[in-house]
Amino acid sequence: MISGSKIRLDGCRRACCAVLLAGGLFGFGPAWAFGQGDLMQLLAQQKNGEARFTEQRFVHGLEGPLDSSGVLSFAAPDKLTRRTLSPRSETMSVDGNTLVLTRGGRTRTTTLDSIPELQGMVEAMRGTLSGDASGLQRYFRSTVSGSADGWSMQLEPIDARLAAQVRSMRLSGRGGLVLGVEMEFVGGDRSVMTISPGAAAGSADSTPGPGAAARTPSTRSAP
Amino acid sequence: MTGPGRPASGRRRGALVLGIWLVLLAAGAVIIARTHFSADLSAFLPASPDARQRLLIEQLQSGIASRTMFIGIEGGKDAAQRADVSRRVAAEMRRSGLFDQVQNGDTSDWKDTGTWVFDHRYRLSPAVTPERFTAAGLRDAIVDTLSMLGTPAGNALKPLLERDPTGETQAIAEGLIPASSPRSEEGVWVSRSAPRALILATTHAAGSDLDAVALAIARVRTAFDAALPPGADATVAPRLEMSGAPVFSVQSRDQIKAEATQLAIVGAIVVGALLMLAFASPRALLIAVLPVASGVVAGTATVSLVFGGVHGLTMGFGGTLIGETVDYAIYYLIQARGAALPGTGWMRWRDIHWPTVRLGLLTSVCGFAALVFSGFPGLAQLGVFSLAGLIAAALVARHVLPVLAPDGATGMGMRRQMALLAGVLVRGLPRLRWVFSGLGVAALALVLWQGAHLWRADLGAMSPVPKSAQLLDAELRGDIGASDGGTLVVIHGSDVQSTLRSTEAAGERLSALVDKGELAGFETVSRVLPSEAAQAARIASLPDAATLRARLAEATQGLPLPSARLEPFIAEAQLARTQPMIEREDLQGGPLGALVGALMFERPGGGWSTLISLHPGAGFDAGRLAAALDGLADVQVVNVGDELSGLYSRYLHEAFVQVMLGALAVLLLLAAWLRSGRRLLAVCQPLVVAVLLVLGGMAALQMALGILHLVGLLLIVAVGSNYALFFDQLRETGRADEDTLASLMLANLTTVISFGLIAISDIPALSSIGRVVAPGALLALLLSAAFARTPVAAAAPAR
Repeated sequence: MISGSKIRLDGCRRACCAVLLAGGLFGFGPAWAFGQGDLMQLLAQQKNGEARFTEQRFVHGLEGPLDSSGVLSFAAPDKLTRRTLSPRSETMSVDGNTLVLTRGGRTRTTTLDSIPELQGMVEAMRGTLSGDASGLQRYFRSTVSGSADGWSMQLEPIDARLAAQVRSMRLSGRGGLVLGVEMEFVGGDRSVMTISPGAAAGSADSTPGPGAAARTPSTRSAP
Repeated sequence: MTGPGRPASGRRRGALVLGIWLVLLAAGAVIIARTHFSADLSAFLPASPDARQRLLIEQLQSGIASRTMFIGIEGGKDAAQRADVSRRVAAEMRRSGLFDQVQNGDTSDWKDTGTWVFDHRYRLSPAVTPERFTAAGLRDAIVDTLSMLGTPAGNALKPLLERDPTGETQAIAEGLIPASSPRSEEGVWVSRSAPRALILATTHAAGSDLDAVALAIARVRTAFDAALPPGADATVAPRLEMSGAPVFSVQSRDQIKAEATQLAIVGAIVVGALLMLAFASPRALLIAVLPVASGVVAGTATVSLVFGGVHGLTMGFGGTLIGETVDYAIYYLIQARGAALPGTGWMRWRDIHWPTVRLGLLTSVCGFAALVFSGFPGLAQLGVFSLAGLIAAALVARHVLPVLAPDGATGMGMRRQMALLAGVLVRGLPRLRWVFSGLGVAALALVLWQGAHLWRADLGAMSPVPKSAQLLDAELRGDIGASDGGTLVVIHGSDVQSTLRSTEAAGERLSALVDKGELAGFETVSRVLPSEAAQAARIASLPDAATLRARLAEATQGLPLPSARLEPFIAEAQLARTQPMIEREDLQGGPLGALVGALMFERPGGGWSTLISLHPGAGFDAGRLAAALDGLADVQVVNVGDELSGLYSRYLHEAFVQVMLGALAVLLLLAAWLRSGRRLLAVCQPLVVAVLLVLGGMAALQMALGILHLVGLLLIVAVGSNYALFFDQLRETGRADEDTLASLMLANLTTVISFGLIAISDIPALSSIGRVVAPGALLALLLSAAFARTPVAAAAPAR
């Protein structure tokens, strides 16, 4: 009845995108295999996961990088949370089509599919983490290189709206683990995230392999 | 009174009567010609509820709800084509100026609004407090803003960094994120469940201005036709779907128009044929129509004078509802026949039959009076129309017909056969008396057993909007995420500022619920129109330039953003202090004006109200909401569904009382006239059984009954008492000539046909009445015959 009040500023969309994409939710969960069948099987087994992350962003015009760190978690099929602990406490979680944002003690809820750019990234990520490659391929062109001991996957957005903001993403890892995510934005800004899988309690039930290999933050590349 | 043997004065008196009649008709015609005819849906909403409900009804009648349209563009080739059509249609709608707002998810038209919000950020942002402008507060805010950079959104934010390092624009925008936005695809709103693009629009015209609304709807159609790709195959082209109160109002007006015309034509043909059968005389037919026609004129003119306008419904169905006035003519034309001295038949009718007709008229008046007090404006009009129409028709039958046809109608037509049939019925039916009594007892048992469950119809059952359209409406609303007004917080105030202050107080309490996860979100006008007090407090939080500069130097230590770059921020914070207050008028005309218009309005009785619409979410609890708002004066929580059903049950209860009073009035009238307990009982018996049988039948058919069925039951008593009285008269005089029986039968047939036609109407409010009265009137006649005592049964058909 009060639908006349349905109002949206472009800023709303940007606020959501900004918080969600800051650091890129891609960066966690063990998941990549080179054989398609093996990969899907491996990914589908992964019901949940939790990992620490540290992130550095290099922004033109700022004198020095921006650092942040926190915890990422995923519960199949569609629940994702990014909790930033430093420098400021901030939580963003997606559950189905519901997006909940908590910053500075304020909580906001909205629908994920009302922000298609964000939805593309979230769907691709959920697809990857839950073993559904079609979700990823619907939004990104992917190129895989390297070997099982050290692989990387280059992603380029298909959707024009997303491509207007994100130039490319690069996921890297070892075995079934994603250990790093780099994003390059239109305009030259860049973010580098390092992930320590299994660092948080009660998560590593299905992460066979050298999970502890990446405990220490690494790859502090200069801008 | 003119007596026999004074033809000259009789003629003069006749001329005078005709003259008065014609003058009155002409006056009525003049009034009707100047009448405003409406057809909005509010006729189906109850009037004069309590304060809280009145606000709700006001909103439904004239608020944003009555102007909001939902448009779907469904099917076609693909999402891109639908998005293209959506953009073209929306652009054309915006250009037309017929809409206050048109939203299709395309944000490209929001640039101006974004600039305005940015320019007024220090007055609008809820984050602006004295603490935020201390060194520590500034540092927190700047770190927050920096955390947005290096993301896709960074491109949009970076140019504003030096001017808005504390991120006030973000704070405002976050507040405006609706909790239930529609899905967006190809840059426009789309459905989650169907291949459909969506547009939400508010007409500029008031919901009650149906001509203007119809024009706006027509403009949408032409815009849609023009937006279709040229030469597109019609089978794969997208379809246009529209819903919402304005669309329903126009549709129901058209429906009422079409149905009323249809009913009038069919009714006229059937009743006309019946009269031709009965009289075999076009002249008699013409005369028989005069009381009805006069009744329609009188009824319409009276409604126009009383209500200041006439609803299409009244025009359409009043005529059918007072179809029983044909009976007056029938009684007269038949019963005035056979006078010994030509020209005196009318006097015999006046002395013998008119008192019974008059009594029947009075009982009918009691019945239709219940409509006047039914609490629904549409029905009240029908009630007034019927009262005025009945009285006018009876007066015409009493005074005009004797002038035009002093000895009734000459033709005999098929009346002999009718009388024969009636005679058979009259003689045969009393044998079935015990069967009817038994059925009556069974019906009573069934009705008592079902009890309150029988009266389970709700307000929605009266809506003239067809089920399929209601479903489409629900779907489109669901797609757009439009709150269906499930729960609203309503704030009253004596003026704009006090109302806004109360709204802000309520908003703060609600924010706490949102932070606790007990509410998904809410929409409030104070996000774009803060009270002057709130604006002043925010501006007072801004330090002067020197202080701010010093604090910024401290705040930015160690941050990658040196304070030297923040001079634009310092300058704009100073500028904000000199800005004038944001007032309601400043927002008019823009998209934010539509928001304000939806959530804030001036009360018709003075004062202002704001609405806060809630998005309840999973953790919502009405009790906690009420507790959270407890203690705030002028703030009320309204659950629309509860209020409407509460409203309806109150009306149902009131209707019971009114109907009982109406029935009591009929009873007292009859008692006063008959002056005999035995006769009163004999008259009431068939009516009671008729009502019971109709109720029992509806109970057996599992019909959900409502207020209108109740009103219908009273009409059975009102109309049926005419028949019972005639049998009483026959019993007392012992005369049951075939003409009287034929007139009774004919009169009953026309009534049953009139209400039978209403019964098949697609407008629920009318069909409920028709479905009760049509069988009830027939039963009343049959039962009156069945329960008639020996004198009538013994009477053989005359001649």
